[in-house]
Amino acid sequence: MTLSTMLSTMAAGMLRTSLIFVLTLVGSLPLGMAVALLKKSRFAAVRGIVRVFISVMRGTPLMLQLLVWYFGPYYLFRWSIRGWRFPALILGFILNYAAYFAEIYRGGIESMPVGQYEAAEVLGYTRSQTFLRIILPQVIKRIMPSITNEVITLVKDTSLAFTLAYQEVFSLAKQISASQTSFMPFVIAGVFYFVANYLVAFAMERIEKMMDYYR
Amino acid sequence: MIVEMKNIRKQFDGQEILKDISFGVDSGEVVSIIGPSGSGKSTLLRCATFLETIDGGEILYMGKKAAHTDASGKTQYVSHKELREFRSYCGLVFQQFNLFPHYSVLKNLTDAPVEVQGRRRQDAEETAMELLRKMGIADKADAYPYQLSGGQQQRVAIARALAMRPEILFFDEPTSALDPELTGEVLRVIRQLAEEKMTMVVVTHEMAFARAVSSRVIFMDGGVIVEQGEPDEVFGNPRMERTKQFLRVFER
Repeated sequence: MTLSTMLSTMAAGMLRTSLIFVLTLVGSLPLGMAVALLKKSRFAAVRGIVRVFISVMRGTPLMLQLLVWYFGPYYLFRWSIRGWRFPALILGFILNYAAYFAEIYRGGIESMPVGQYEAAEVLGYTRSQTFLRIILPQVIKRIMPSITNEVITLVKDTSLAFTLAYQEVFSLAKQISASQTSFMPFVIAGVFYFVANYLVAFAMERIEKMMDYYR
Repeated sequence: MIVEMKNIRKQFDGQEILKDISFGVDSGEVVSIIGPSGSGKSTLLRCATFLETIDGGEILYMGKKAAHTDASGKTQYVSHKELREFRSYCGLVFQQFNLFPHYSVLKNLTDAPVEVQGRRRQDAEETAMELLRKMGIADKADAYPYQLSGGQQQRVAIARALAMRPEILFFDEPTSALDPELTGEVLRVIRQLAEEKMTMVVVTHEMAFARAVSSRVIFMDGGVIVEQGEPDEVFGNPRMERTKQFLRVFER
């Protein structure tokens, strides 16, 4: 195998890795907010369910969770899992990351001084206006560094997709390395992850700078 | 009467903070509330502005009932929706300013009028600029709160409250978080509002200011109104021993 075929094969894997990354963020960033808000629900049962959800998601390996989502339907219900590989993968990533994001959101929301709520209340803002206009924008600024951390971790965690034999860049690197007895695929994969994270860090820093106009 | 509070009771964790307090404020009055910390002054303001719910008594704005204790002894507030109307009658200036840090000064003054009261943005901005000029900080319209001194921030907070066109403005120790050299500029603004017959209730430790500006002074201690009257009476010739004792501390 020439280097260029190796590169082009792996480029396809990089695209799949990017797809996992983007879909996970698109799903888990909003879902995490929903989970964070449900954790403060009026209903004790809802709060209980959310607490169990978060502790299971954080307390078990993501690799194990991916296997459960993929094979669970077959072993539990004898359902056919044909075509279920990619949906299971994305579901597993989204739910796991939503739990982590929920805790980041919660920390940010709880760090807001009560005076902000009171000022908004006295001015007559409704509860949803208070949250969306006054609280949330400040929370986002506060949690940005933690979100950056989590997003960088996600770039690397996408490699766990190899557990389900999904052909992303890490799976391909292993396969090609084994079949070609070459170390090169690992170098290529490493460079890919590093560059991806460099771009992520750069983008996140830009976003943080955009919110630097106030303190 | 703009606001009337009758037989207000409030307790926190079984401790009575307000014990059967009654007071009302007429249009154009400037009422100062003085008293030692823990006497219930701030709690009274927070009840009047609906930040705290009362355990008993009655709150009326413009003769309309916002809360009352029914025959069974339970305190009933009007619905959430109606309460927003009552909130529009009163403004509150906090000790810690509580400006919105992510909004420019101008946006701090216009956001609630536009979003809550549905005023046109242009009108709201004109009102806001007028208020900022009055507060002497028109040049700070585009600044953010962190770029201002404490005194300037508090003046923005006063302007923000006024931008809602309240019937009455409450101040909760408006100068207590300021360096001594910055209190003057805030007190001057409040004095100016008093001259314009803005109805105000000011919780304060600034005795000279209270004496000079108020039309009535209320001395509170232990959750009750110990004494009230014209400032010269209360400060110059207090009737109650507790009042004398409290004022003596400030004379030193």
